[in-house]
Amino acid sequence: MSVDVQERRRFTAALLGENAAPPPSDPSPQVVRGVALHITAHMLTVATLKGEERFLFERTTSFWRGRDVGPEDVRVGDDVLVRCGGGGRWVVDRLWAQLGRVTGTIVSADGGTVVVDPGHGRPRAAAVIPYRSSGRMAVRHPVLEPGYLFDAVGVREGGTVHTTVPVTTQPPHPAVRTARRPPARRVPEAQSGIVTWYDPAFGRAAHTDPRAHAAGAAYPALDPGSDCGPACDRSDPCLPLPLLSLGATVAVRNDDTGVGGVFPVLNCASAASRFCDRCREGSGGAGGRLAELTLPAFTALGGRPEAGCFTATMEAG
Amino acid sequence: MTPAELIQIQPPLVALLLLLGAAAKAVDRTGGGGPVSLLPDVLQRPAAVATALLEAVLAVALLVAAAPVGAAAGWAAAALFAASAALLAVVRRRDPKMSCGCFGGLSTEPVGWRTIARAAVLAVAAVGAAVAGGSGLQALVGLTGAQAVVGAAELGVLAALSPELREAALRTLGRESCAVRRVPVRRTLSRLRTSDVWRANQVVVDGTEPVDVWRHGCWRLMRFTGRRNGRPVDAVFAVELRGRRPRVRAAVSDAETMVTLAVLGEVAEEGGAPLPRTTGGAPQATGTVVPTVPPAAPAPAQGAGEDGEDPEDGEDRGGPRVPRARAGAQASGTSAGISGGNGAGASRASSSDR
Repeated sequence: MSVDVQERRRFTAALLGENAAPPPSDPSPQVVRGVALHITAHMLTVATLKGEERFLFERTTSFWRGRDVGPEDVRVGDDVLVRCGGGGRWVVDRLWAQLGRVTGTIVSADGGTVVVDPGHGRPRAAAVIPYRSSGRMAVRHPVLEPGYLFDAVGVREGGTVHTTVPVTTQPPHPAVRTARRPPARRVPEAQSGIVTWYDPAFGRAAHTDPRAHAAGAAYPALDPGSDCGPACDRSDPCLPLPLLSLGATVAVRNDDTGVGGVFPVLNCASAASRFCDRCREGSGGAGGRLAELTLPAFTALGGRPEAGCFTATMEAG
Repeated sequence: MTPAELIQIQPPLVALLLLLGAAAKAVDRTGGGGPVSLLPDVLQRPAAVATALLEAVLAVALLVAAAPVGAAAGWAAAALFAASAALLAVVRRRDPKMSCGCFGGLSTEPVGWRTIARAAVLAVAAVGAAVAGGSGLQALVGLTGAQAVVGAAELGVLAALSPELREAALRTLGRESCAVRRVPVRRTLSRLRTSDVWRANQVVVDGTEPVDVWRHGCWRLMRFTGRRNGRPVDAVFAVELRGRRPRVRAAVSDAETMVTLAVLGEVAEEGGAPLPRTTGGAPQATGTVVPTVPPAAPAPAQGAGEDGEDPEDGEDRGGPRVPRARAGAQASGTSAGISGGNGAGASRASSSDR
């Protein structure tokens, strides 16, 4: 069975109305991802899908590489995500280097290394918990045993992610013991919860891989009858999210910044379906994960990738 | 009637609750939740099974055995319920999202004061069963009106303290919103094939299996390839996932030019200008309909025309909002079709909203 997600949206809009399948927002020109080619105290050259692009730093520009650093700590060859300020595409407001994230169910843990299953369709990921962040991690993730959930942000180094910040507080029971969602008689048109980010390119070839630049979403409630398929290992999310397929579009608004956008569903967010958490730094009290946005989409809505999430309102279906 | 006689209703009542709990736990595959979640992982499933067995044994003993065995079962049940109440309070403090597991998979709501209060009420009832002296079956055989009233009142209190009842009702009656309900593709296909819309447009479609199937909340959409006037087309059907006679819509699009030829019974002029498009490139309905039966009466107001709704189905209309012009066209019963030949030859409904 062929899947043409753009055609799906076109037909859905034709049959159910434009409100049901609004066209995706244009990618934000202020968010750029690529590979750092040259960096000085005042300027950055990045290889992107468009070729080489140059950006300027100003005194207020901030840099992140596992922690807040200076421009001298960003290395040539780093996978960089740049958010520009001032309404243009010239001056860097904030730069993140070698962002990585490990989200899912722990498969094995050996010393300071944790192997995590992110759900079907994504390869297993290894997280290394360095000594300097082990205290923070132990507070939020006290049980590093198979079956327990894990979600942390860190720096990608040599195929693993060196964790720096736990994104969530681990539930005190294995993922399979999570209570089922009560039956939902009504599904609200707009739902509040949290939105996280994921990287469909896994930090590789950020200058050539279109997945690294895509502005889209992974959705935790893909229809098991069509897209999720026989290998589907997602759970029922704790929020009553309408069942959708790849190609649907969801409207997401960051409740903290008020910035919103419409994003196509590109992947299944199997791991997100197992979490029923709140955002540590968010303003709202809503729990449960609505979607995972790609890094450019998450950043374009004002999200801070190092925080891992923001509270949001989503309209879907 | 003396209190000693009224208390005779307690053994069958407590046995009933124990049996229900044991049965629900036995069929629950997760085996988690409630006090057993306080145990190490490897012990949780065995502990859940052991609890279900214990409840079943106590229930049978309360039903068939008089004192002293029945009394001992009553005291054991009282201890079980009292311990459950205390442990549920611990669970609630440790993990506020954890379910009580009292009725297996039906207990999905987090442990609350209602659940703890229910365990306490049952502990008191079990003490009554212990001191009653007779077996549960004896009490049922000699049931008096006063005992029935007391039993019904007690069951009412327990029902009020049981969030599982609402869940059981929703599951049994299938009242979960169609937007989140899992529906097999085969069932949707069979609903489509029995619809007027399918029969009217079948001539356009090649083959019987869709080349693409996707879900959009309360709707499932299916794309078929076909030919119209010798040109390859895509015929897309949308089937609503509620009721036995769901609404069905259809659209035909030129596979090469991607011009939408017909939407919701609209038939585009052959060779005419393409339908207007949005900034995203999606075709917009023109609101033009080719009627074959003049509407006898003015179209009902929107809302009344939210038509075809399963009378048993009182849930929210979770589907996307339909623009007023379209909804009106549907509600009026306008019959227009996607013709397999000339576009003007529309003859059958392509939007079935019964």
